[in-house]
Amino acid sequence: MYYGWIKKIKVVVKMVENETEIAEIKTIKDFVKDGRIDDAVNIVALYLNDSTEEDYIDRLENIIETLLSLHGGRTVLRFLLENLIIDIPSLLENLSKKDSVLRYTFLLLLKTICENECDLFLPYSEDLLKSDDPNVREADLQLIIYMAGGSAKFDDPSLIKTIIAKLSDEKDFVVEKAIQALTTIGRKSPSLVTKILTEYVKETVDISENNELKGSIDTVMKSIVTVEKIEEIVEEEKSKLEKPPEDSVSEEIPSSDLEKEEFEMLDKEYELKKKGLEIKKKKLELEEKEKEIEEKVIQTKEEVLKLKEEILIRETIISEESDGKEKSQKVKIPKKLKKEEADIIDKELELKKKDIEIKKKKLEIEEKEKELEEKEILEREKALKIKEILIEKEKELSLVELELKQKSLKQKEQKIKDEEIKRVGEELQRQLKEEEDET
Amino acid sequence: MPLTPDDILKFLDNESETKFKSELLDLLRKRIDNLCLDECERDRIQCTLTPLCSRRFLLKLRIKNNLKYEDLPKFCYSVHKGVIERFFRNKTVIYRPYDAFLYLIDFLDVFFHGDYRKLNKFISFKNWDDSFKIFDDRINNRNEKFDYLLTDNYLLFKFEDRIHVIFLDELYVLCNANRENIPDLELLQGVCKLYSGIYFPEVKLKQRQSQHVEITVKVPYDVLNEVSPEHPIENDSKVDHYFWNTFWEDLNSLTQYCDEIHLQMDKNQNLEISLLLSTETKNYDEGENPVPLRFRDLKLILDFINRIYQDYFVLWVDKENKSGG
Repeated sequence: MYYGWIKKIKVVVKMVENETEIAEIKTIKDFVKDGRIDDAVNIVALYLNDSTEEDYIDRLENIIETLLSLHGGRTVLRFLLENLIIDIPSLLENLSKKDSVLRYTFLLLLKTICENECDLFLPYSEDLLKSDDPNVREADLQLIIYMAGGSAKFDDPSLIKTIIAKLSDEKDFVVEKAIQALTTIGRKSPSLVTKILTEYVKETVDISENNELKGSIDTVMKSIVTVEKIEEIVEEEKSKLEKPPEDSVSEEIPSSDLEKEEFEMLDKEYELKKKGLEIKKKKLELEEKEKEIEEKVIQTKEEVLKLKEEILIRETIISEESDGKEKSQKVKIPKKLKKEEADIIDKELELKKKDIEIKKKKLEIEEKEKELEEKEILEREKALKIKEILIEKEKELSLVELELKQKSLKQKEQKIKDEEIKRVGEELQRQLKEEEDET
Repeated sequence: MPLTPDDILKFLDNESETKFKSELLDLLRKRIDNLCLDECERDRIQCTLTPLCSRRFLLKLRIKNNLKYEDLPKFCYSVHKGVIERFFRNKTVIYRPYDAFLYLIDFLDVFFHGDYRKLNKFISFKNWDDSFKIFDDRINNRNEKFDYLLTDNYLLFKFEDRIHVIFLDELYVLCNANRENIPDLELLQGVCKLYSGIYFPEVKLKQRQSQHVEITVKVPYDVLNEVSPEHPIENDSKVDHYFWNTFWEDLNSLTQYCDEIHLQMDKNQNLEISLLLSTETKNYDEGENPVPLRFRDLKLILDFINRIYQDYFVLWVDKENKSGG
């Protein structure tokens, strides 16, 4: 009996709680429908703040449910994410505890936000990939797929490396998502992904034994490297070598002096790159020469060894025959041998000299390289300084613009005030006149 | 011209060499297995949001053929269960899980969470007293709104407007019955009884010659007396409007689902409407076989009965009682 009453009371309490919750959700819905996004966001924030540890996930689910069904739900969600009322890591962790339908439907809701505003998610991506929860890793990879499918171009090697590491994840569904993510990123940056993947393959020791990993890498590579893409990859590599970076070209600078300075900077950078290429060419040439010389040295050493062997054979023959022959003959043969030996020693000395010369040249080249690198660093520092100055000037300009705008606004205000004072004065005068006329 | 599904069906019907048939079916089986266990489940997001078979009908194929949980694509089944649970709790779903099949324990987990282990044991061993105690406790003390009815081979549940049927021998459940065929007269009568108990307890319901279920509803004489003898042109009353416009349309549409419809006056001049139902409709498929009666067809019939009962029978009987008192 007593137990029954407690049950009934619990049911009533639950009903009351549910009713208040329903009221809050209703107001959120009404605000969104009326376009009062800020108010809706505030109420969501309050609603989530009121939650206890036990019912936070349920409340979050209620919010997600509500936003899923509303026309302006995405906008509210964007606001909630921007204002950190819902933060991405805890959102994904909480979603992991919920059923897959809710989790994936909600991820789908984030698709357009990911495509257009990847800055909201990108900072968390790498850390979330290292989460212990496979559902979080999977969800994060899905967000990366959405982001890569949007306007953003992924050129962060560290993130790509972390995604590649997920190709050997313990969960198959995470591996599948990693493949999809790399494929999507690879569509826009084929050379970067192929480069990092090949490096990863080189670094991974037991790749030949891991068939699943090999298969995953194969799938990614096959989907990135098509006949058309090969051309793109080669062209991209070429353009990287030939052209200066795009971002420095595309920046617009207001004054002509600044433009000149920037062009000069670009020229210098271009020259530096040319020099770098020349040095690389020279290095390669030297390496080839070194190899040739080494081969020659090996050949001469072999010849010397052969000669020594012959001498030894002859010596043994002579010593065997010496018992039966005359003493004068014995003296003549060692003289010839001594001459040959002296020749060999001379050749060896020459070779050593050549070696030393090569080493000297190498050292000189290295010194030159270092000098060039130092010059490069100095040039870059200069360029950075110029950039900083430019940014400061831009800031100053924008400040001046703002001040000007403020001034013009003030002037307008003043004008309006003056006109209003005039109008009021005239009105008063008119009324006074009317009163005078009446009297 | 490419091969069509009809060509394959014809081949399966007409081919005398059983080896070829079995080879063909084996190809189909392998394709289904590959689709369910590999292609679809490989990407869980795809499997959840856009499964590779329409509304997971391939799960139904497995469950209805008494395959065990081990033989099912597990993630797909878990999503399927999740969708049914979300639909039950009136949450957003990707598709409405009508005619969805679940194993008994999972059905009980969704609809009677908290008691599902006990209930699974009781129902499996047909311990009805203990099972009904739990159901009644939930209805009376926990503010849960549902009705149930037990027949020989089925246990029926009605949550709001949705019917769920436990197949007691097979131990699986048809959830949100809609387009599924009603397999036998026992289930047909069971659904009618369940509705009748809730909505129209005074309507006569009986089984005739183990082929038909007969439902009889009366329109009282007083109501008939209110109906104008001629078609009213303007300002027709509710009774006039219904009996002159909608009633015949309703009867006409029901003729395709009922074996027979009888209209007759009883000794008190009340109109008796008797509907004879069977598991087959009066519609025929391309092979000229009668189309089976579906749950949604039966729902239309029961809605008609309910309308007559609620709008004209109860109201007028009450009126009579009041005026008599």
